[in-house]
Formats: sequence, structure tokens, C-alpha cells
Amino acid sequence: MKRLRIDRWTGQLLLARSGASPASTPRAAALRSAALSRCTAVRSQSTGTVRQIPKEDDYYDGTDHTRFPPLEQLPPKATSLPSPPPERALQSAKLAALHARLSLPERLPLQTLARALVDASADENPQFNNTNLAFVGQSLINYHVAEWIMCRYPRLPMGILYAAMKGYAGPTSLHHVARSWGVEHAAVPGGEVDPGLLQFSMHKPGDAIIGFGYRRAEADGMKKHKWRHGMSSRVVFDDDFGEVVDSEEAKDELQLRADTEYGNEYTRSLAEKAFATCARAVTGAIYAHAGRDRAKAFIKSHVLSRTLDLSRLFAFKKPTRELSMLCAREDFEPPVARLLSETGRLSRTPVYVVGIFSGKDKLGEAAGASLEHARTKAAMNALKSWYLYSPGEGVRVPSDVLAEDAAPWEPAYIDMGEIIGH
Amino acid sequence: MTVRALQQISTGRNGVGSFILQCKKMDFHYCDWAGSSKGMNGFIKSLLPKFAASNTQVEFAVSPRPSKHPVIIAQYINGREKAICVRNMEPYEILKKAELLRDANGEKNRRVTKPVQSINESVRGVWSPYHGNGLKV
Amino acid sequence: MEAMVTRPAVTCCRRVTFSGPTSSRLVLSNTATTLPSGTRQKSTAARTRGALNIPPHDSFLNPNSSAADRKARPTTGQIIYNPPSSAASVFHTPFIFLPKEDPRRRANLGSELFAASTTIHYPSNNKNTTTTTNTNQPQSQTTTTTTSTNPNQPSAAAAATDFPSIEGEPRYRARHHLTKADIEEMRRLRASDPVGNSVQALSARFRCSKLFVMMCCQAPPEHRDRVQAELDAAKARWGPRRAAARGERRARMGMLFNGEL
Repeated sequence: MKRLRIDRWTGQLLLARSGASPASTPRAAALRSAALSRCTAVRSQSTGTVRQIPKEDDYYDGTDHTRFPPLEQLPPKATSLPSPPPERALQSAKLAALHARLSLPERLPLQTLARALVDASADENPQFNNTNLAFVGQSLINYHVAEWIMCRYPRLPMGILYAAMKGYAGPTSLHHVARSWGVEHAAVPGGEVDPGLLQFSMHKPGDAIIGFGYRRAEADGMKKHKWRHGMSSRVVFDDDFGEVVDSEEAKDELQLRADTEYGNEYTRSLAEKAFATCARAVTGAIYAHAGRDRAKAFIKSHVLSRTLDLSRLFAFKKPTRELSMLCAREDFEPPVARLLSETGRLSRTPVYVVGIFSGKDKLGEAAGASLEHARTKAAMNALKSWYLYSPGEGVRVPSDVLAEDAAPWEPAYIDMGEIIGH
Repeated sequence: MTVRALQQISTGRNGVGSFILQCKKMDFHYCDWAGSSKGMNGFIKSLLPKFAASNTQVEFAVSPRPSKHPVIIAQYINGREKAICVRNMEPYEILKKAELLRDANGEKNRRVTKPVQSINESVRGVWSPYHGNGLKV
Repeated sequence: MEAMVTRPAVTCCRRVTFSGPTSSRLVLSNTATTLPSGTRQKSTAARTRGALNIPPHDSFLNPNSSAADRKARPTTGQIIYNPPSSAASVFHTPFIFLPKEDPRRRANLGSELFAASTTIHYPSNNKNTTTTTNTNQPQSQTTTTTTSTNPNQPSAAAAATDFPSIEGEPRYRARHHLTKADIEEMRRLRASDPVGNSVQALSARFRCSKLFVMMCCQAPPEHRDRVQAELDAAKARWGPRRAAARGERRARMGMLFNGEL
């Protein structure tokens, strides 16, 4: 067996991070955190006062520091903090790369970007986590998505509008957005991890409030007994996606297994939430540092440019009756289903093409394997083409007026409402 | 009786709206002693600073790997990584390899037979035998 | 309902023969040829290529050019009208659904663009390909004789009445002729003798729709229980195949309503 030649071992392996190495043993970390919990560390959010870190000379591993300078020096007590100190943001290569990858404005400092990556479950101190940035970002994203959907598809029923909002700006969608940015997450949050990693806890959800909505008194009954959950009350009480604001109930058994398994549905839901919050916080940070227009452009390019087929959001119950009520309301002639063409009526696989006409105008058509199917499908297509009316692709939204030298606002088309109310 | 909503999730396409460079990290490994790393050492000294400065979207790491051939390992947003061994290469050849890794999207190499792949519906729709004027001759 | 309208596009594509070796144009044969044996196969690639060299659709040619210069392409300022042979997308709003202030409505394009793009056009000269299975309905003879032959002049849509309705006329139109006393009478009759005064009988007697009868009155609970028991007994007699078929049919309808079919 060859002898190990320690003097040949250079570089990262033996590189001492003077602050990190003593605390790398769990016992030392426990001692440190115990000592610090007694005298709480004073953390400073301002980035102007970056303190010079005194070098600890008590630990030396024999590395030639002039030849291999240490990559990063951790500030003292960094390992005991719940999230990395803000001044470490300037030294993170991951953070700078993320900043450049998203083409973020120069005015957005790396410290703010680092803060946007700290979830409330990692650091409970609201001065150091991304709760407030995420709240601003959430409001902005939902505002822009809602106004765009409302102006672009003015006839969408309320339920479909909520579903479309959630399809664009919901937590799952924003989670995909943040993943597509290449945001990685730390295994466990802490002061010593790279500030360019998303930090959240796999064990507790955190108590960040990101979004408007009331906690209903009857929320438990709605969940337990499936009480009626009307559309009008959602506008007033519930969150921006028409869903009941509910406190996270502790899923004890899943929580216990969070460490033992590779990842269960509980940890996945926490990760999804943390990634979505991160995406919102980055938007909020852009708004805070670079202003309204940059934030709007960012939302447009990262959220609104995604593809969502709105015609797949519809589910009907009695489409033919709904269509005839629509025609009665709009003073159209009553709809009549007519057979446009057919083939193979006596075969095993017939095809009928049925169109629904109101007077001379065709409202919709569909092909089906039976007359009843084709007629129902044609009525559904007619209703969809009513609901999916759009004034055009380049429709203006109210926030366009806020830009400089914008043309005055012309009222958008507002529909009179759904055919059958809830 | 009323219309109900089904939930769908929007899908994104890189380059529509915004473009995110898919290469997120590049590791350059070299050896101080071995002759196969000669070009790599020259590359790190002369070309890498400029290359790194012009590609700020990518995180760069340079680290020694004694008694091994030099290698460039690129990590991508989709979680995959690609490695190219650059032994006995000249610095400019290594630069070409680094650019190749930077521009890759991290997917497995596969033959592209269709030049355009799209999730958008085509303008003219799916051809249907039951519609249209037919071919008049 | 009984009219058999064959698919014109497929007919055109299939029933082709080649008029001569010098001409590469396809002509529609007037006689219905049997398919495989009547079609001559091309034995070389060059012949196949020549045969497939079809001149462009008329809409791609410049209508204002002279007859000799028919190959002239339209200028960029022209709109090529060549509606797709595909099912209409739900994102193309029918003309009647456009709001009053919509510019598309103001431009009065309805008769030209919208009606034509969403409506089937049948070639007017393929009468011989239209077969009728039921001679009692003369309406089916007119289904294919509506559109003009000039594709550069998009005609208005084929008249809606050319297509047979699959619903039939509604038996009772809403006339709002029943008074409150009539409805009270209807309820009394239904409650007194639910078997004799069935929904259908009441609908015929009061000359209103069955839906209206069901909206007005409800059978006494014992009658409903009895009907339900009869229904359950009938269902109990179903074998496994019939029960599965019914279940599948219901599932298909659910999928249809969710847009999955």
C-alpha cells in the first residue's frame, strides 16, 4: 500500500476555514450554540458596517496560506446564527451567479438577494428572512396576473378566474419558476452555509404571512363536513386564489419521518412553499430596489410568459341548458344542434360532426362518437368560445398607464357576468 | 349546473419571456505536476479570468486534483452534469470545450430530427377530414 | 337526421385518376371507382414526384393578374384567404358572440371572415358523391349545393337550415299561459293520483313541458319510494356486463364534461 503523502495534498481538502473548522464537530457546535443562546448575538442588517473579522490563530493545519489562500473566512459565531450574516453575501459565488443569471438590476444588492433566499422557517427573525419581501412580491405578482387575465379574458367566470390565477401565480407554478432559475437549497439552514443557497427548514413550516385573506371561523367545519363554499364569499374572505386560509395542521407522523426518508409529501410541500416564497421575494426585492417598471417587466417575463391552456380549465354539468340560457339572456335565437357531417353510422366507430346554430350563426361544433356526445361537446365548445372571448393579444392593462408618456386609459371591456350565478 | 374549474399548472419554456443560461457551475480541475495538465494550467492562468468575467451567470471553481488528468465538470439547472477530460489539450482547445459546456443545456445528447418543437397549437389547427373545402381539381 | 353526407375532402383525395401522361393535374372522376384496383400505382419515384406536383391552391395566386400569368404570387399587401381544414378553435370567437364595441364587429367582417372560417364548405360539384339513405327527406339533397365555386370570393356560410337538426322541434314552446290557479290544480292532481297523473300526462294536459311540470310539483314520498324500489329491482336484474356497460357510459359522460374526451 502506498504511503499517503500529506505534503502533496493541496487545495480544498485541507483548506482551513478558520471559523468553520472548530465547529465542525457536533459537540463544539452544540457548545457554541448553547453559549450563544444565553447571550444573544447582535446581528446587524446594515451592510455598511462590515466588521473586519479577527483571525483566529489557535487552529492551524499546516496549510501554506500564502500559496493557497482560504476561500472564505467565516465571521465568528456564524455557525450559531440561524442564517448567514448579510456581509457574507458579497463573498458568495453562487449568489453573484444567480444575480447575473436572472439579469437582475445593478441596484439590487447581493445582500438583498441573499435575504430573499432565507425562508421564515429557517430564520424566524423578520429582519433577516424574506417574509416582507415575499409579501410585496406576492401582492405584485397577483396584481399583475389578475389585471392581465381580467383585461385579456374579460368573460371568464369567477371560478375559472381563480383557477387561472393559481395556474399562473400559485405556489406550484412559482415553485417551478424558482427551480428554473437554478436555485439550490441547503440541506439544513444555518449561519455557515453558502448565502447563495435557499434555506428553509424541513421540520417546521414557519409562520410567514404572505398574502391577504381572513381565517374563517368556520374553516374547520368546511374542511370536516364539506360545508358549502360559495364563490361570492371567496372574494371577501379567502386568499387570492379563492382558497380557504388555513393554518398548517401538524402532520405529526410525516414530520417525524422527515429525516428518515428521502423526502415525503410533507417535506415536499415545505420545499414547494419555500421555493415559491423565494420567487415572490426576488420580485419584491426588484420592486424595492429598482422600481415599479422593472418589477412589472420581471413578472411579465417570468410569470405571465408561461403557457396555460385556459380552455382546459372548464368542466361543465349541463352545457346544453347553460347555452340555451345564454342565448335567452343575450337575445340570440335559441340554439339548435344540426348534423354537419357523419360517417360510419352503421359501423362500430361512427363519427358525427354536430354544430350548434343560433339562427344563421354557428356557435360551436364538435365531433363525437354518438349524436349525444357530439351535441354536448359542441355546446361545451360554444360556451367556451363565449367565455374565452378576448379583445386581442395586445390588450392594455391599467398599469400600462403608469408608464411615462403613456396614452390615456380607455375603459376595458367589462362583461355583464356569468350565465348562471353560483 | 354551473361551470366548474379544473386546476392546471402553467408550463414555462426557457427563452420565452426570459432566457436563463442552463449551465450554473463549472469546475476546473488541474494538477500541478502532471504533464497532461500543462495546457490546463496555461488556460487557468491566461484565458480563464477573461472567460469567467464574461460569463457571470456561471459559478466558477478552480481546484487541484493531484495525479489525475485535468477535467472540466459543468453542472446544469436540470440537475445533470457533464464532464470533459481535457488532458494534453492546448489552452484554446480547452476554451472551446469550456464554451461547449457553457452553451449546452444539460440534456443528454440526442439526435434532433425536428427542427422546431413547440407546445403551442399550430395556427391552422390539426387537419380534420370533416372540414375545409377539400381539394378542388 | 337520416341524411348521409360523405366526407368531401376524403372523397376528393381518394377518387383521383390521372387524365394523361402529359398533364400532372388531378381530376375528379365522375364515376365512383372501386378503390384499390382502380388506382394506378406509380412505379418510379420520378413519376410519383411528378404526380404529386400539384399546383398551388387558387388563393395563393394573384387574382388580379392576367390569365396567362396565373403563377404570379400575391404581393405582400394582400391577404391570402385559405381557411384551414380543421375544427374551429374555441379561441376564435363566433361573430355573434363579439361585443357591440368590438372592432372586429365594427369592421363588418362577419359575413366574410368569421362565418366562413368556422363553417364547412362543401364543393358544389360533388353531388354524385352524396348518398342518401332515406329518400323521405328531400332536405338532404340540398346539403352540398350551397357554396360558390370561386374560392377567391369567400362566400357566406352555408345556410344553417341546410343541415338537418338532430333535436327535432321542441314539443312545447314556452308560452307562459298557465296561471297560478292552473299550477295549483296541477299540484292537486299530481298529489291525488301520482300514477294516473304522471308527469307526461300532466304535460300533455296543460300543454307545457315536462320540465315545467317537474318544477311545479313533486310526487308524494310514498310514490317516489315505490318508483325507486321498482328501479332498484330492475337494476338488480342486470348482469355484470350490462352493469359494467352502464358504468362505463356514465364515466365517459363525466370525462366528456371535463373535456377529457
